[in-house]
Amino acid sequence: MPLRYTIQPVAGFISRGFLGRRRPAEVENRLPPGQYLVTDFPVLSAGPTPHTPLDRWSFTIEGLVQSPVTWSWDEFQKLPTQTVTVDISCVTKWTKLDTKWRGVTFDTLLQAVQVEPTAHYVMAYSDGGYTTNLPLDEMVNGQAFVAYEFDGKPLAPEHGGPARLVVPHLYFWKSAKWIRGLRLMERNAPGFWESLGYHIHGDPWKEERYSGD
Amino acid sequence: MERIEADMNTALMVDGNAVAGELQRIFGRDMTMAVARCAGCANEAEMGALMAFTRGPGVVLRCPACQAAIARIVETPSAIYLEARGATYLRLAAQS
Amino acid sequence: MQPLIEWQAGTVTEIRPETPQTKSFTLALPKWTAHRPGQHYDVRLTAPDGYQTQRSYSIASAPEQVGELELTVERIPDGEVSPYLHDVLVPGDQLEVRGPIGGYFVWEVGLGGPLLLVAGGSGIVPLMAMLRHRAAQRATLPARLLYSSRVPDGVIYRSELVQLSDRDHALELFFTFTRQAPEGWTGYRRRIDEAMLTEVIRPFEERARVYVCGPTLLVETVANALVRMGLPTELIRTERFGPTGS
Repeated sequence: MPLRYTIQPVAGFISRGFLGRRRPAEVENRLPPGQYLVTDFPVLSAGPTPHTPLDRWSFTIEGLVQSPVTWSWDEFQKLPTQTVTVDISCVTKWTKLDTKWRGVTFDTLLQAVQVEPTAHYVMAYSDGGYTTNLPLDEMVNGQAFVAYEFDGKPLAPEHGGPARLVVPHLYFWKSAKWIRGLRLMERNAPGFWESLGYHIHGDPWKEERYSGD
Repeated sequence: MERIEADMNTALMVDGNAVAGELQRIFGRDMTMAVARCAGCANEAEMGALMAFTRGPGVVLRCPACQAAIARIVETPSAIYLEARGATYLRLAAQS
Repeated sequence: MQPLIEWQAGTVTEIRPETPQTKSFTLALPKWTAHRPGQHYDVRLTAPDGYQTQRSYSIASAPEQVGELELTVERIPDGEVSPYLHDVLVPGDQLEVRGPIGGYFVWEVGLGGPLLLVAGGSGIVPLMAMLRHRAAQRATLPARLLYSSRVPDGVIYRSELVQLSDRDHALELFFTFTRQAPEGWTGYRRRIDEAMLTEVIRPFEERARVYVCGPTLLVETVANALVRMGLPTELIRTERFGPTGS
């Protein structure tokens, strides 16, 4: 069990002339509560960037499916792709608008397996040991995809390349970098950050940042 | 600071010393000289010398020998979480 | 031993440009405690809407400078805290800080020498605290500084370093320039490498206490080279600045 400590209350100090970050009026309705606009693409990482060679890369769907399926990089490249433009929000309070991705939708991947009726949740897992959990019904109908291009170019390693999960309607920690597979589960289980204080679901519009929010 | 052509792999990493303030607030004393023993490879290193990944929802401290996660720290508005199952132990010098 | 560290509002008493990209900020602290050279303070900014952000900055001053704290900060163009410190903060303003913090990357005269300091860019800052402390204590143990900068006007504390070294023959300076050297420069003109480290450390016969501070990749290079050269790892202390240090 993690230890818990209480934080001391914040003093009423304001830094003269410090305006903080911005929520420009013209895009305010696209910024979830508590989020600020960025134009760069901050790199967030919990560990060293893996450098899995493409000829050793694979992608697997397993768990509550009749038989698991694994694609090699070349096989994965032959799957039909979609290009989407979406806004992304990180729990560290930045939102980036109109990010353009190309990848394979979760719906397309599911066509290769037969999902057991007991499957309700998904655990995404990555090179380096990162995991994050999602509800199955929030990944279907175009809500989630495995992307390998950003802005028309191969996805850079620091942003999760060769391929990452993108689930834009949830905080971006759910969009696992360096993804290698999805495991379908009956019951929800917390992933890497969800097991340490972060919200089990993570909807930015409901500001589901921390467990208990 | 020099901009060396960076593999972001190493450039994203700082030392455990960089989170000395958070550690000191949790433990009430300086922890950077405390020795952490990695549960994975048994390497021992001062917490100040661990690999620290601070750019994310929380802080991850990793073993400089095998890169396994030794500890994670998350600060929420109501609590600080510290998880350290990747450490066999922390060894602190007795306080005089 | 440090008890709980608390935030306190220091008052800016002086702001001094060091190079085109760096400034030193002197703060008077209501609850000043003597630090150990190499330690840092956390600086926190709070906006009127409650938004907060925080960074760590190495202490540049010696603990002998009682009641005050000097931080030297490089301005990172797309940073959040350093542009505020450089462009908005004026003497008389208050700044929230907490510290001193960290016991790993510290050196005091009592730890002895010889002392080898290796800096890249603004990585000189905590090492300067060590050199100022060494001077304030009138210590005579041998010390060498190897300091890598891109260009001549990027050298922080140049005149003070030269003065310290002129007054004290036990302190020797080695500069290297990686992009552009001063006119007529006969010293090093490349990134720090094993050959350079071997030359600088030679009189210490690989027994030096070594402190390396700078960008992550410089620190990696230097630390790995020192270990290959046979220096005991327990005598090597490193501090990486990460990707921006903004």
